[in-house]
Amino acid sequence: MLDYLVSIALTAGIYAIFALGLNLQWGYAGLLNFGHVAFMAMGAYVTVLLSMNGVPLLLAVLAGMILAGAAGAFLGMATLRLREDYLAIVTIGFSEILRFVLLNWSTLTRGSFGLFGYPRPFQDLVGIRDYNLFLAGLVLAVLLLVYILLETLARSPWGRVLKSIRDDEAVAISLGKNAFSYKVQALALGSAIAALSGSLLAFYLQYINPNNFQPIETFYAWIIVIMGGSGNNRGTILGALILWGFFSTTRFMEGYLSFSPTASSGARMVLIGLILIGLMMFRPQGLLGRKEELSIGR
Amino acid sequence: MEQLIANGIIYGCIIALAAIGLSLAYRILNFANFAHGEFLTLGAYFALFFAASLDLGFLFACILAIAATAAFGVALDLLAWRPMRSSGASRTAIMILSIGVSIAIRNALIIFFRPDALRFPLPVSQGINFGGMTVTSLQFEVVLIAIAAMLLVHALLSRSTLGKSMRALADNPDLARISGINVDRVIRCTWAVSMGLAALAGIMYGLITHLNPNMGWSIILPMFAAAILGGIGNAYGAMAGGIIIGLSQEISTAFLPAEYKIAVSFLIMIAVLLFRPRGLMGGG
Repeated sequence: MLDYLVSIALTAGIYAIFALGLNLQWGYAGLLNFGHVAFMAMGAYVTVLLSMNGVPLLLAVLAGMILAGAAGAFLGMATLRLREDYLAIVTIGFSEILRFVLLNWSTLTRGSFGLFGYPRPFQDLVGIRDYNLFLAGLVLAVLLLVYILLETLARSPWGRVLKSIRDDEAVAISLGKNAFSYKVQALALGSAIAALSGSLLAFYLQYINPNNFQPIETFYAWIIVIMGGSGNNRGTILGALILWGFFSTTRFMEGYLSFSPTASSGARMVLIGLILIGLMMFRPQGLLGRKEELSIGR
Repeated sequence: MEQLIANGIIYGCIIALAAIGLSLAYRILNFANFAHGEFLTLGAYFALFFAASLDLGFLFACILAIAATAAFGVALDLLAWRPMRSSGASRTAIMILSIGVSIAIRNALIIFFRPDALRFPLPVSQGINFGGMTVTSLQFEVVLIAIAAMLLVHALLSRSTLGKSMRALADNPDLARISGINVDRVIRCTWAVSMGLAALAGIMYGLITHLNPNMGWSIILPMFAAAILGGIGNAYGAMAGGIIIGLSQEISTAFLPAEYKIAVSFLIMIAVLLFRPRGLMGGG
């Protein structure tokens, strides 16, 4: 039973942190980041590569967050003065290019062999037997911190300006707010949060490979955010739990259905696509979101 | 080098056809369609399916596949895009929906055809030598058909009533509506043209490489790069953009590992967005 709870806390918790970063960008600022997984990958790889070369873990995690934040800011600066869909095209492209680089720069990343045997926080102190329990506690603590940070920001003047830009950019600009700079900041902060979730994912998996960071991971985060209710942090955490529930139920059902592994994973992904379509068509505000706060104009 | 230029032109023609459809949809339907790659894949698999199951010859199977993909596009409009439009959903909502369509189609193809690479049932075609470059007769035909399709698009856009209605709709939807244009019909025709071109591009891509359920998704980035380079929404720009992207990707393999081909189109796209966001030919 405890093992079960620990595994929920680890997977749903890491995805919740990952999706909270996206909720800041999409839910609060209306930014279409279709390459969120790239920043998770940056967090994971920077943390692992630096810590394997003797950099203290905390610094390695911070370095990943700073690098991902800078990358997010750069992509934003290149596209945010244009129509909003350019950001979507460029970020999805960035996430694929980054995956190709990680796959092919084998002297650094060992390509598709992946990296393993890297340090994890307090691994000598905790011991291997209780490590997942400890890590689950760490993930929940980080999730709580990120949640409190985002809630505080959302209520702060900064968060209110961000929402006003999302709802009507012209009004915010006419009040003297630099909309462009606010959006770049939201993009950078959300990307840094994704990097943090990537470091935690690396600690949990003990093995990272460029193919852990396929574009579909980005859209899991989108489903989590939209299902929970865009712009609602509690909804995002709920969405992460539901998505985790979806995966464990469909895996459980697989035991009873005689599908081949490719057919059943294909069927699960068709369902994921249909869920996204259904949400957009019938309940774009998700479970806890407010219709009038939706950045998609309905 | 001559060989790389030849390969670049062949690949560029395919990207150009795909980018025209993407650009038309962007201009007339007003959103970036992330499911466009899957429409290429769908066209290729339709052709494979018809060629294998009907005894009618490959050319006929291709024509049927293009028609089937276009019909699928019209059905998709009735089922998904039109309800979204009439409920007043914004283009970002429709764009997110297109991601769902892309995931669903790609994985449905994985279920029906398995994820393995497949080939069209055609004999290996003979290479022809053109002063230093070897081009198979098949590749030569691909280029000719692509050029013919582009001329056809040009005729459609500039000469036909449908083309005029499409341009009117793109410039001002409200004005188009009150001047008696049947907006829903024009939009359905746009989908049919856009997806027919995608199917053709998909079949061609399958011919010069192979088919797998990821084939369209894997070249969505060069497609967008070509559309943006040409000025997104501009069909002629998309043609030029496709050829430029195809050539630069292939020529880059002389200096860079081939795995980084796609990165070349990404860099071109970023450079265009930074320095000339309306593209080479100006767009919407």
